[in-house]
Amino acid sequence: MDEKRLDELLDDAARTYHVPPEPPLDAIWSRVEAEAFAPVTARRSGPGWRVLTAAIAASLVLGVAMGRYSTRAERAAAIAAVNASTVTPAANPAAQAAAAPYQRATEEFLGSTALLLAALPRDGSGGQMPTLLPDQAAELLTTTRLLLDSPVSANPRMKALLQDLELVLAQVARLQPRRENVTLTLISQTLEERELVPRIRSAVADLSTFDY
Amino acid sequence: MPRAAIASSFDPTNDERSLIAKVVIGDRVAARALYETHAARVHRIAYRICGDAELAADLTQDVFVLVFRELPKFRGESAFATWLHRIAVTVSLNAMRKVKRLRERETDLDEARHHEHESGDIDPDLRERLAAAIDALPDGLRVALVMHTIEGYTHAEVGSALGIAEGTSKARVFEARARLREALGDFLEER
Repeated sequence: MDEKRLDELLDDAARTYHVPPEPPLDAIWSRVEAEAFAPVTARRSGPGWRVLTAAIAASLVLGVAMGRYSTRAERAAAIAAVNASTVTPAANPAAQAAAAPYQRATEEFLGSTALLLAALPRDGSGGQMPTLLPDQAAELLTTTRLLLDSPVSANPRMKALLQDLELVLAQVARLQPRRENVTLTLISQTLEERELVPRIRSAVADLSTFDY
Repeated sequence: MPRAAIASSFDPTNDERSLIAKVVIGDRVAARALYETHAARVHRIAYRICGDAELAADLTQDVFVLVFRELPKFRGESAFATWLHRIAVTVSLNAMRKVKRLRERETDLDEARHHEHESGDIDPDLRERLAAAIDALPDGLRVALVMHTIEGYTHAEVGSALGIAEGTSKARVFEARARLREALGDFLEER
């Protein structure tokens, strides 16, 4: 067989060899969409809700611990200097004057945090999460840790509030588009169970009466 | 398929890069657009390799599921179409290795007979023998021959899709043609 004859046969093969039929593209797409974009929990038979929640909680605890450690390392000297002047603040007018910046910072922090929590889409609402929220939460998380190491946390109620906010802000800072629903559910539960928003309002109202 | 059409599919535009970015963050509309741009070609090459309509549809599905899951890892170092076709060929060949029996399906013959009217000067028996000879080629030779000679990919494109050098693609097509000539030689002498 010569090359010309083989070329003729192969030209014919282009029209006859395994000629594709009209592809059922819509049907294929339906299957692709169902498999490729199915919710992670439905697609995989991996760990259940409780395990997932425990894993998130564990990672948050680790993150909070690391964050606190690093914040302490960076701010130890400054905090120590401030603390040294506020050992017995109630009995020391000079110490009260020194604590005034903390009060203003705490008021601003609580106001910003309340705004951020209000901007969070509620679980199941299907709302779009503002893209800047995680970054804003990360900044507020840093402030929280500074306040926890400051005289502000000498007040047990304020310290408890800051610790709860630290957890929530860490969750918000870690929000990812694909895991929004799961994480938002956790955040919503925490906000509700810990009554964080009412406590923020109460704390802001009480701030003026705090002695540091 | 005209060469120009193939070339365009290997030249992703800014729009395609934008689509890819959207798919990565879970945009289904963008995913559908990307799918519609490439699905027919993926199905076509899958069918040319496996020769079975139902399996080609399954392979097309598998390819796009894999592509959408792996898309975050796509760095754009090669054209998207090249990356996609490489996945398509790999998925198709892997599937074919699991279902060798498909090489000898009756549907090949039915399909060939269905298209007899398109080229009446070819002996139906010879066409049938050619199809069987192509099917009998080793995968590496068969896919190179099908992509280059039947589907019209350039050797560079075949090389990218198969992960081989352009020269290797040429050598494989040359070898495939030699084996086809050998396989069909006796048949032609009998006529």
